[in-house]
Amino acid sequence: MIELALFISLFSATIYNAAPLILASLGETVVERGGILNLGIEGAMLMGAFSGFMGAYLTGSLYIGLICSIIVGISTVLVFGFLVLKINLDQVVSGLAINLLASGLCLYLFRLVFSEGQLPYLPSLITPYAIPLLSQIPFFGPVFFNQTIFVYIGFIAVPMIYLLIFKTSFGLRLRSIGEDPVISSYLGIDVTKNRLISLIIEGALVGMAGGLLTISLFNTFDTRIVAARGFIAVSIVILGRWNPIGAFAGSILFGFTDALSLWVSAFLTGPAALSISQLLSILPYAMTILALLIGGRSVRGPASLGSPYSKE
Amino acid sequence: MPSLQKSTIRSIYKSLISVALALGVTSILFLATGANPILAYYYIFYGAFGNLNAIVETLVRMTPILIVSLGLAIAFKCKVWNIGAEGQLYMGAMFGTIAAVSLGNTPFTLIISIFAGLFGGIVWAFIPAIMKTKLGINEVITTFLMNYVAVYFVQWLLSYPFRSTDSLFPESSKLPDAAILPTLLQPTRLHLGILIAVFIVLPLVYLLMTKTTFGYKLKAVGENPEASKYGGINVSRTILLALVLSGALAGLAGFMEVSAIQFRMRNSLSPGYGYTGIVVALLGVNNPIGVAVSSLFIAAIFNGSSTMSRAMNQPQGIVDFMQGILIIFVLASEYIMRFLEKKGVVKI
Repeated sequence: MIELALFISLFSATIYNAAPLILASLGETVVERGGILNLGIEGAMLMGAFSGFMGAYLTGSLYIGLICSIIVGISTVLVFGFLVLKINLDQVVSGLAINLLASGLCLYLFRLVFSEGQLPYLPSLITPYAIPLLSQIPFFGPVFFNQTIFVYIGFIAVPMIYLLIFKTSFGLRLRSIGEDPVISSYLGIDVTKNRLISLIIEGALVGMAGGLLTISLFNTFDTRIVAARGFIAVSIVILGRWNPIGAFAGSILFGFTDALSLWVSAFLTGPAALSISQLLSILPYAMTILALLIGGRSVRGPASLGSPYSKE
Repeated sequence: MPSLQKSTIRSIYKSLISVALALGVTSILFLATGANPILAYYYIFYGAFGNLNAIVETLVRMTPILIVSLGLAIAFKCKVWNIGAEGQLYMGAMFGTIAAVSLGNTPFTLIISIFAGLFGGIVWAFIPAIMKTKLGINEVITTFLMNYVAVYFVQWLLSYPFRSTDSLFPESSKLPDAAILPTLLQPTRLHLGILIAVFIVLPLVYLLMTKTTFGYKLKAVGENPEASKYGGINVSRTILLALVLSGALAGLAGFMEVSAIQFRMRNSLSPGYGYTGIVVALLGVNNPIGVAVSSLFIAAIFNGSSTMSRAMNQPQGIVDFMQGILIIFVLASEYIMRFLEKKGVVKI
């Protein structure tokens, strides 16, 4: 039975590591369906991670931290929204600008509160909550239903975002804008307003994904904490063909890569163990590039994705 | 200055407005933390240019920033968003170091190592370049992810296969004397690399961008890829070359930093020069002269702000904050400029 316990720990860690990617890639799926490519989610996640940590550290409540990360996530994405919707700047460059702004701001503010060398940490983390009955199911119970609130929100968000995109009138308008904003506006659809709503939804999800890192995964903050998860989420959206279910599947796959490299490292012994486990930290990034190489060729996203739109 | 075109003057105005606004926002931050902004800027200026050694150190800091951002200006000119300069810099530094250490002291060590550095950057930029041109995969995602692959790979190389036997830390052996870029003015760190950057790389990039057909193609592809294609320009090849050239220069900057400053390859080689280069290239409007002025400015802030932090007991990291604010204003500067022109504040 020891083997089964090991596999349960591997798959449980898969879900755990996939959670930030699920939230972030769902958010990105929504905005990209409306034709906006937001590469600033790396920065928005960082802001979410920072504010989640600060909120939890200063108030002592992890859930206040979570609320802070959602609010700051939305605010950060709205700054991006101002740049691309209000003053019609290039989406790619605006996204990069948000990332640079976020890393500069977080580094400075963190150093403002805590001096160099000081390593603040949260006394506790948001811990898994076993759902009664469901968590008793052999194998699937401990893997899927003994997780943190972030994972459950992720699980619920997948069908909700799916319904939002494909079964609501808002989703229909958003997809129409994503294909052709000019014709959509002739049809009477308010392009800017609908895109703004999509950005707010994304901000909440991405901010939460960032907050998860500091108040559920690590109990401290570092400006390198996001470690390209935002860009991996953008890749997952492409690989998942702009579909929430595809995004979920892609996130699980990458969560598995993360979990596997940690899992393998734990088994390694002998002189080469450290060397191999260090090399394994490349795996998530190399995997993403490889996956794009195989699954990212000649995919067609929303037709207006990334291109500027102005009413004039 | 009648020789300058109106559009050039307008670009200069835009960059100056961005800098002024960034300094303004940073002043508010200083006031909020109880520091006197005028005193803070005085210390930054003093720390960057206050004496001969400070000036030399600012030039030393400027060198890698200038080379990286000149490369990025080439890529950005044709709207190829290479954000992988950091990884390309690390790979260039690593390739150059491996070449230098394995060659030892020969008359050709330095030149071969420099080419190895260029090659390291080229290899790292080539992968995203080919993915972009052959498969249409967004280069922003791939170049950024390649940074992580590079940094972790270099960390592994320095911890195991290329770890120095005479050091406690994960770093390479010391470079042989023949691979060291000579110091020009003892006892400062003024080195030959500064001259290479300013008097060889800068003019070459300037000529490439303004006087060659390739430079023209870069601009055409950046402004309108569809029209360029109908006009007979090989768009894919232009994009590929632009990305690879920017990688090569990042690689060169990386190796020069090892060869002139660190003397050993370390995984703490760059404090984010690859990302700083993005800000500098955009602030300099992808114009080599503009990029040169911008890189001096950012290098001065880099060095001056550490003097200021010590003198005024301010946290480190003000340079990162300013870079972040600056890039937002650089992007918004066209909008701000139009607003000012409409109000009649600025007339060109």
